[in-house]
Amino acid sequence: MDRRNFLKIFGSGVATAATGNLLNPAKTNASEDNQATEFYGILVDTTRCIGCRRCEKACAEANGLPVPDIDELTNKSVLEKMRRTSDTQYTIINRYDTEKGPIYVPKRCMHCNQPGCAAACLVKAMRKRPSGHVTWDANCIGCRLCMVSCPFDIPKFEYTKAMPRIQKCNLCYDRYKKGGIPACVEVCPTQVLVFGTRRQILEEGKRRIAADPDKYVNHIYGEYEVGGTSHLYLSSVPFEQIGFRKDLGTVPYPEYSTGFLFAVPFIFVLWPIAMLGINRATKKDDESGHGENHENKEHEKGKH
Amino acid sequence: MAGEKLDTVAIVEEKDDSPKIKNLSDFWTFLKKELKPRGNIATPFNLISLPIMILGYIFIVYRLAAGLGKPITNLNQDFPWGLWIGFDVVTGVAFAGGAYVLCFVVYILRAEKYHAIIRATVLNGFLAYLFYAGAIVLDIGRWWNIYNPMIGNSFGVNAVMFLVAWHFFLYMLAELVEFSPTIAEWLGMKRLRKILGSLTLGAVVFGICLSTLHQSGLAALMIMAKNKIHPLWYTEFIPILYFVSSIFAGLSMVIFEGSISHKVFGDQIDEAHHKHYDDILVGLARICSVAMFGYFFLKIILLVHEHAVPYLNSPMGYWFLLEIIGFVLVPCFMFAHGAQQRNTSTIKFAAVITMIGIIINRLNYTFIAYNWYVPLSQKYWPAPMELIITASIILTEIWAFRWIVNRMPVLKEPPAWARKLH
Amino acid sequence: MEELFTYTDIFATKGVEYLIIIAFFILIVAFWGLVNMRPQ
Repeated sequence: MDRRNFLKIFGSGVATAATGNLLNPAKTNASEDNQATEFYGILVDTTRCIGCRRCEKACAEANGLPVPDIDELTNKSVLEKMRRTSDTQYTIINRYDTEKGPIYVPKRCMHCNQPGCAAACLVKAMRKRPSGHVTWDANCIGCRLCMVSCPFDIPKFEYTKAMPRIQKCNLCYDRYKKGGIPACVEVCPTQVLVFGTRRQILEEGKRRIAADPDKYVNHIYGEYEVGGTSHLYLSSVPFEQIGFRKDLGTVPYPEYSTGFLFAVPFIFVLWPIAMLGINRATKKDDESGHGENHENKEHEKGKH
Repeated sequence: MAGEKLDTVAIVEEKDDSPKIKNLSDFWTFLKKELKPRGNIATPFNLISLPIMILGYIFIVYRLAAGLGKPITNLNQDFPWGLWIGFDVVTGVAFAGGAYVLCFVVYILRAEKYHAIIRATVLNGFLAYLFYAGAIVLDIGRWWNIYNPMIGNSFGVNAVMFLVAWHFFLYMLAELVEFSPTIAEWLGMKRLRKILGSLTLGAVVFGICLSTLHQSGLAALMIMAKNKIHPLWYTEFIPILYFVSSIFAGLSMVIFEGSISHKVFGDQIDEAHHKHYDDILVGLARICSVAMFGYFFLKIILLVHEHAVPYLNSPMGYWFLLEIIGFVLVPCFMFAHGAQQRNTSTIKFAAVITMIGIIINRLNYTFIAYNWYVPLSQKYWPAPMELIITASIILTEIWAFRWIVNRMPVLKEPPAWARKLH
Repeated sequence: MEELFTYTDIFATKGVEYLIIIAFFILIVAFWGLVNMRPQ
């Protein structure tokens, strides 16, 4: 590498480090080097899901979790009640009885474009990968702020273990690195799930709505919610009827913390200036320095 | 100068009291002597507190070995934070706020009136951080990784928690520096005492910056729980509310702790200070009442700003009104009335109500108004072991406070050679 | 996404907030008097 090239790379690195991480309002560690590639994601067409729970089984097998029974009888009883993902289930299917009959909805981590969990993490254990995967690392200290900060209540903590981990869907990051697709997508018998870049699956979702506007509501959940997610949902009924919150807004969650975080340097500059100023201004004349506390007096002495 | 001669005489007289530490073995002998308990050991307080503390330590070992789940805590997937974060850490830090407020008043504004209580307050603040914020180790699921934010290789510099962790650590150092002249006086180290005394103003300024930021930072931790905290409590301005409330929370703690200290350690305090103490209480009550008046109006403005008024007529709304009227506005006027009448028992009573209000407020954010839509049967409620561990931490802090106050010149007058520096 | 096109006034509460501040100004004067009143 010649010197000029080195300087160029070095210079751009410094610029990225400075602007990308410290100055640019939209950047939190949720979005580190996210320009690298496009995000991958999954389009979930809930109108196609038959509730067979094969994705649950494949997910458990792929991630070393307890493998559930998915015979018809078990499914019937399991789907009776509303479930949520847990520390042993990265993905679950719920049945919602709506005016259009039962609708089966797979739920798992939404893999937000700007994840609250990643922005909240003080050791970058929770990370948004350039490929869109939101993953967890073992350098986690277990503070559980990611659980507090997730708008979808996805990260789950292993309370029963002495060496607990945060458990959640990682969009099969290990399989992705080996060139594979997520286990749930691979196993789905009715093509509910479509894996692709976020741009591709968004286009596919819009195409499906345009092709059959009577079948779908004209909304892709995850297109704008919390700044966009890498899981996108299609539905035949309004989303609140199949267990989605409509009150999350379109602002990326990490942006709520920027107001406080950007005030920090100002406090560190303005407070000392103000306090030293007041301290000096309230000081009595040096000659008649009675009644002062000794610490200040000595501090002044030290300066001369 | 005439005064100097007198002081020299005093030094000669008192010199026998100060330990003469020249080398490490002197220091060990002195420390061993000081570590021995003094006075009657079998006091009612000791007899009650010791079993609780020992039980708590056993549970702490059990918790570190077994994990966080039942039966140790009732934390679950809906309520990741409970009593240890909500009370020990978040409320404990608010109560420790008295140290930075008084440091501002005494060292920056030079209000000499409050100088008499500054040492006890700073000590209390330091111990509160050491023990209550230290309790975060228990709450951290993967506690063996606790050093990661400090010397790890992946700093989450954009995370609020990163800031809070560093500020806790640095503020403990700042408070130790603020308190260190007392330790030097205890050890009889005169040169060190002079050097440490000259660091005070710097430590105070730095400490106030850190306090401003981590008092509000504790609120900023909850800022991404936007859709989980009840709209009456959630606002993007909670950092400001936490900062303002830490002023009167901290001073109420100073009033509360001071009135107990003055009973328990009364023999260490000279007559003049005892008389002067009522003036201090009245002054603190005035600061509290005005801060609370402002805080109440901030609450009202944010209530309107967040479009939360319609929620007032609901069970959570009544709970909110109880908090801001019963535990803010009422003690605010009690402080004002007590200060005006110079009635210290009204002031002390108001301080206790204010402290209860702060506990309620902080717990609201961590688990009461947090996930408020979860049915009552599935709500988090502290488990017995959580309560006992919390109690044992508080009692340990009181033991440490008592040990230091009985040995170092915290409430009692500094040795004559140190007074000469005044 | 029809809800995206409905107009919401993001400053809807500003007027009331200013009225509260005016009330605060009046009350703080009274309160300051109370805090500094000499005991009878």
